Amino acid sequence: MSMPAPSRLLFHAVVAAAFALMLAPVVMVMVISVFRQEIVSFPPPGLTLDWYVNAWDRQEFARGFVSSLQVALMATLIGVPTGTAAAYAIARGWLPGKGAVNTLLLSPLAVPGVVAGTALYMFYLRAEFWIDADITATLHGLVAAHVLLTIPWTVRLVSASLAQLDRSAEEAAANLGARPFTVFRRVTLPMMRPGIVAACLFSFIQSFENLELSLLLVGPGRTTLPVAMLSYLEFRIDPTLAAVATVQILLVGGLMLLTDRFVKLSRVV
Amino acid sequence: MAALVLPAGLLVLLLLVAPMLLLARISLNQFSPTEMMVEATTAANYLRAIQDPYYQQVMATTLGVALGCTLLTLALGFPAAYWLARMQSRWKSLATILVLFPLLVGNVVRAAGWMALLGNEGAINAALKGLGLITTSLPLLYNTGSVVTGIVAVVLPYMILTLASVIESIPRQAEEAASNLGAKPFTVFRRVVLPLALPGVAAGSVLVFILCMNTYASAVLLGGPQFKMMAPAVYDQFVRGNNWPFGAALAFILLGVTLLLTVVGSTLLGRKYKTA
Repeated sequence: MSMPAPSRLLFHAVVAAAFALMLAPVVMVMVISVFRQEIVSFPPPGLTLDWYVNAWDRQEFARGFVSSLQVALMATLIGVPTGTAAAYAIARGWLPGKGAVNTLLLSPLAVPGVVAGTALYMFYLRAEFWIDADITATLHGLVAAHVLLTIPWTVRLVSASLAQLDRSAEEAAANLGARPFTVFRRVTLPMMRPGIVAACLFSFIQSFENLELSLLLVGPGRTTLPVAMLSYLEFRIDPTLAAVATVQILLVGGLMLLTDRFVKLSRVV
Repeated sequence: MAALVLPAGLLVLLLLVAPMLLLARISLNQFSPTEMMVEATTAANYLRAIQDPYYQQVMATTLGVALGCTLLTLALGFPAAYWLARMQSRWKSLATILVLFPLLVGNVVRAAGWMALLGNEGAINAALKGLGLITTSLPLLYNTGSVVTGIVAVVLPYMILTLASVIESIPRQAEEAASNLGAKPFTVFRRVVLPLALPGVAAGSVLVFILCMNTYASAVLLGGPQFKMMAPAVYDQFVRGNNWPFGAALAFILLGVTLLLTVVGSTLLGRKYKTA
């Protein structure tokens, strides 16, 4: 569309406003993490990196960071293989009730984190009573909850990449005498790789930054980074917290750039 | 083949379906201050949630904020999505990553950013004071405006990515044909682009509306203690109130209202799509 000058100006102003809204808070957090004074004020009296050391010295952040890494890693390791297998079976198999299975596997995305989180909390308390072992405020309890994030994201991304696959390559391999497993290993799996890589990235990050599902499942000995940040932020925002948030921003950014080298992210989503 | 589906299927059944059924059962129980919970089959929790003026107010706030944010996100997101979808230069993949990046950074981090921008000693107040426009700080944080700003910023990437993928599939020639035949840009938008993009508008709005209805971090951190939305109210029942049956009922009311409005909204948009 070629627009007259005033409309064009308005159009670009709205686009700029949308990008500013999305990016301003992220940039702001990184900026105040290097302010020297503990009480954030503008302009800053000087700059320092001390808050990063201070953040690591605070147990709730250091432990929360390690916990979140562990949970995200384990939830990804469980969710991506099971989700990929399911997505493959749904796309290629002769499965009764395919649609229903697909809906079931994607359903965790439709149930709000708040509702699923409370339901899991009640379920864990009941299960603790039956098996006489702790589940709330433990690593495995959190990992199990976060598998609910990693499975649907994997199914969605791997299914999308399977749908784009050209089946004639598989048929050609089979016609040339390759056994079904060889076809899968040498043809299908390599073609699924972009979807699987993207599934790993999204699963890991969705788990790492999740708040709602984890809120009731953490406890004194075991918290995650977003929950630790939330309880700190209910009182104040200061450079220490900004430093923690910046570490998370850099981690996510780094993972995105790393993934982008293997699969073009702009084509996956 | 069925064996491949089994692990993921069983995990979702165990970790989502079973807990949801349990929560539904608990919502019919009776609260007792001494024993926490008494087995019962009563609708009392649901009735209390619907009749209590406090929770009516919380639900009204939640609905108002969610609807307002959805419309605002659509208005801001459509031009951005169009710009992104029609971009042809090598910057396109960078622009896409810039939309994806804030989405992946997490709600808490972005709420922290808004606190630093909007607070009494925040960047905006400091800039306005520095310019001599104001002498005392404007109360930008802890009100409806700050919550709406925070939520719109959180959900914008979802809207833009959903719309952009649909707009990309609209052939450019359709727009060119319309303008060659003398349609003004706004007419091209209203009669060609918008009708063809309606499935994206519906999908994006539904997704964004669900996210808004369930806002937690933005409501708690940018709204302050006085501002109450449904998701924090549900958690309060479990953490502070310890009234599990009532909290469970609130959770199902939130889920039910969200689903109902989602269905109504997509049906209305779907009908419009057919006639357009």
